[in-house]
Amino acid sequence: MKCVIILLWYSAFVFAADTGTDIYRANCAFCHGLEGRGGRGPSLVSAHVQQETSDDALKTIIHGGISGTGMPAFDLEPQDLDALVHAIRHLGGQGSAGAAVRGDAAHGQRVFAKNGCASCHRVGDQGSVFGPDLSRIGAARSAEYLRESIVNPSADIAPDYAGVTVETRDGRKVTGVRVSEDTFTVELRLPDQTYQGFEKSTVRAVTDLGKSLMPAYSLSSADLDDLVAYLASLRASSNGQVVLREKGIQ
Amino acid sequence: MKLLLALLLVAQVSTDWLTHALDHPQDWMTYWGDYSAVRYRKLNQINTTNIAQLRVDWMYQTGKAGGGWETMPLVANGIMYITGPDGTAIALDAANGHPLWKYEHNFPTGHNTGQANRGLGILGDRLFMVTPDANVVALDTKTGRLLWQSEMAPFIPGARYATLAPLIVKNKVVVGISGGEHGVRGFIDAYDADTGKRAWRFYTVPLAGEPGGDTWPANGHRGGAPTWMTGTYDPLLQTIYWGTGNPGPDLYGDVRKGDNLFSCSLLALDPDTGKLKWYFQFSPHDTHDWDAAETPMLLDLPWKGKLRKVVVQANRNAFFYMLDRETGEFLEGYPYGRQTWAKGLDAEGRPILMPHSEPSPEGARVCPGLAGGTNWMAPSFSPETGLFYFTLREQCDQFFSSPPVYTEGKAYWGTFPRQVTDEPEYGLLKAMDPITGKIAWQFRFFHAPWAGTLATSGGLVFSGDEDGYLLAFDARDGKLLWKIYTGAEIRNSPMTYMAGGRQFVAIPSGAALLAFALPQ
Repeated sequence: MKCVIILLWYSAFVFAADTGTDIYRANCAFCHGLEGRGGRGPSLVSAHVQQETSDDALKTIIHGGISGTGMPAFDLEPQDLDALVHAIRHLGGQGSAGAAVRGDAAHGQRVFAKNGCASCHRVGDQGSVFGPDLSRIGAARSAEYLRESIVNPSADIAPDYAGVTVETRDGRKVTGVRVSEDTFTVELRLPDQTYQGFEKSTVRAVTDLGKSLMPAYSLSSADLDDLVAYLASLRASSNGQVVLREKGIQ
Repeated sequence: MKLLLALLLVAQVSTDWLTHALDHPQDWMTYWGDYSAVRYRKLNQINTTNIAQLRVDWMYQTGKAGGGWETMPLVANGIMYITGPDGTAIALDAANGHPLWKYEHNFPTGHNTGQANRGLGILGDRLFMVTPDANVVALDTKTGRLLWQSEMAPFIPGARYATLAPLIVKNKVVVGISGGEHGVRGFIDAYDADTGKRAWRFYTVPLAGEPGGDTWPANGHRGGAPTWMTGTYDPLLQTIYWGTGNPGPDLYGDVRKGDNLFSCSLLALDPDTGKLKWYFQFSPHDTHDWDAAETPMLLDLPWKGKLRKVVVQANRNAFFYMLDRETGEFLEGYPYGRQTWAKGLDAEGRPILMPHSEPSPEGARVCPGLAGGTNWMAPSFSPETGLFYFTLREQCDQFFSSPPVYTEGKAYWGTFPRQVTDEPEYGLLKAMDPITGKIAWQFRFFHAPWAGTLATSGGLVFSGDEDGYLLAFDARDGKLLWKIYTGAEIRNSPMTYMAGGRQFVAIPSGAALLAFALPQ
């Protein structure tokens, strides 16, 4: 009898793992990566997720989403939710905790200021809205993704920040972020935080640049670590107020 | 008082009117405008020479938030009848949009789930409408008073509901059910227009032992094949044509080996008995949600030297089909847009599958995507040009698979696909010879549309797009003659009518119904 019970338990376990993996691949891997190491979404093999976040907290996040981060809510059956959390716990190999974020976030904030990042990016109520708002970027992106975004910004471009150049029939070229485009018009957001619209009848070409409007930054290894640590610490609360996880950063 | 008298004195919509609706171009008395669904009107007050003057004449605001208002206005005797997504029916003066009455369905608690509603049917002094909680109601055309109400099936919130505009055939109100993605068993019902008593029901998923029942596994849940779009009707052949949707579970076929009749099919039914005359299945064993709910348009076309009564459909699977509508015989079929799932169709019209087109755990890239090459938005056909005008969605998806478990009231699908990100979607309006598939002209939309078309004897084709433009083209060469930005997506097909001696073109957009006319 004991053997049968163990077998049943094992069968249930395997089923849950397979189901959870299927659910993960179909719903989560697009942002968090097949191995859970992050991408557009944060790493799920980090110590923060694997050791500091309880199963119930994970279920709450999956079920309700996280406003302002691009993490949607998933209406899963309880058994599917259980299976998914089980699969997340086994991402990247059993016991994998992922790489911890290294670096000095307080110094990273100074690196952010020194390099003029606020001329395009907003944190809280400071900075420009030309580029992506970074107030919650630490909750929305993995450290690896942030690092790559600094040294190779064109590696992955968020759809709302695609750079385009509009060439008018009278020869002007205007480059900005595409806010909207339809059959007859295209609207850009320009680096000076103004908007400019064009009727396509006056336009010779709308060219997708295929690369980010952000320049690639060559920082020292230490500065890069510190900047990533600062960005990873940005986790504004849902009411829009910036919350910095590291002590000493205001 | 004067208006009331006028209402009482006008002729009632008879079955003869409905049969000869194309001879009453001033009215729009069925969802499709007439039984054959050609959506062509002999109205030319608005034409290619004066279309530039077309402007908004009036608008009616529902006061509800937008999001794709899908009602198709009916117009009879100068009165327009529309529905909202929340169980409302509204009568307007068709000449100026002023409201005459409003009916609000009495929902039991939790029953108003706000699903789309696509409009009404009319016969005599009665209007007919389905509700989000799967009831059929009959209303007095003059006052909106409820005359009878019949439950189609016990309501399951968000899972079994009704959205379509009823088809009125003889003295029957023919309706279908939605919820194929939730595994409900599809059916087509006919109700007596006078009493609301159900006259017949045809289940679109047969049980074991019934004809077609052996196309499903012997065990397990059988469901799907919903009937969520209005059918067409041939009064001479005494035949109703009705499309069905996906089998259940949606997007996952491993637990339902077989063709899964009568999903993704066109059904030919006897209007008196509901008995099946013939069927044609476009996508056997569908795993891509390619419902066959698209318009089954009835045309008489020359085919191999002989005039044939045909039914044509630009199917969601990206193939265009022409069938003999007396027998269901497959006559012709060809891709009308990009597709990557079939090598072609065999002599019987059955698709010859390409490898790697089935959903997989890693994701299979398939064109068209879940929404299909086209969908429920209506095409039109002009007898003047001989062209079939329809809108096409160029968009591909990554189809994943995972086995679902059936729970009543819950989504019953494998895994929802994801739109591919390495190529942007776009849309086309195509003018196509339905016999040869030759494209006479086409117009490109920046986004894939959810709006259909309307053709008129004014030499015009109207259509809309997902960004909110209503557009008019020269039907012969596709030249864009007029456009207006309405401010919200258009998820419907334009219609036209006459009121007060003026031709109007009407379209819902967002929360507003817009009526266009030439200046007085």
